Amino acid sequence: MTLQTPIVTNSELKTSADHAARELGDLLLHTPEYTAFLKALNVLYSNPTAQKISAEIRSHKNALRWPAGEVSEHEVALARLETELEALPVFQDYHLAEAAVCRMFAEVDTIISKAAGVPFAANAKRSGCGCGG
Amino acid sequence: MLTEELQNSACALGETLRASPSVQAYLKAQADCAADPEAADLDNRLLAVYKELLGRQQRGEALQRSEIDAFNALKNQVRQHPLIRERDATLEMVKINFRDSAENLNFPLGEEFAALAVTTIP
Repeated sequence: MTLQTPIVTNSELKTSADHAARELGDLLLHTPEYTAFLKALNVLYSNPTAQKISAEIRSHKNALRWPAGEVSEHEVALARLETELEALPVFQDYHLAEAAVCRMFAEVDTIISKAAGVPFAANAKRSGCGCGG
Repeated sequence: MLTEELQNSACALGETLRASPSVQAYLKAQADCAADPEAADLDNRLLAVYKELLGRQQRGEALQRSEIDAFNALKNQVRQHPLIRERDATLEMVKINFRDSAENLNFPLGEEFAALAVTTIP
């Protein structure tokens, strides 16, 4: 009688990685930090002043993408609007909540990367398409 | 401070990724490069020149065209080394694998985990 080494197929590994990733995502979703982040994001999105400023920012960004008028006027307006947005208490709350999530995710990434033997987030990050998206 | 459950879950994902053929191939290719004196020397030289040029540029110094050309020539030489080429190719496979896993991680969150994990907010 011979003992056989257990063979894990590539598809089993893939399913296992998918499952592990989904499970980790579910756990992160229910952390106090992520809950606070989603709440702050929701408050920010539903704030009329933030909405108005964001719409104006988008409008100036579009104008800069396809310049038709004075570029510097749009740049000055953008800088002013971004400062206005950042000064809103709802934005500051959002910013703090986002920072807490970033710190938590960075800690999680350190653990994944150490176990994987390769930096995870840096290699999993979607690359920019150059269109600002 | 992460809960034990979170730490275990993150570790489980990392270990599963480590067992994948793409990561195994990359780790082997990386070790082969490190063990080869010529490949290791090329890697080190490229990194040293890159750091030096970047540092000078960040201090506001304008780089000479010849310096940039020399850097690009060295970069091409590095990329043509068979062991380094193998390492770079296997890393591309790792990235595909990791992005795929990250999609599963992002799904419950509705946000991109990797982008937030590498963001530094003052």
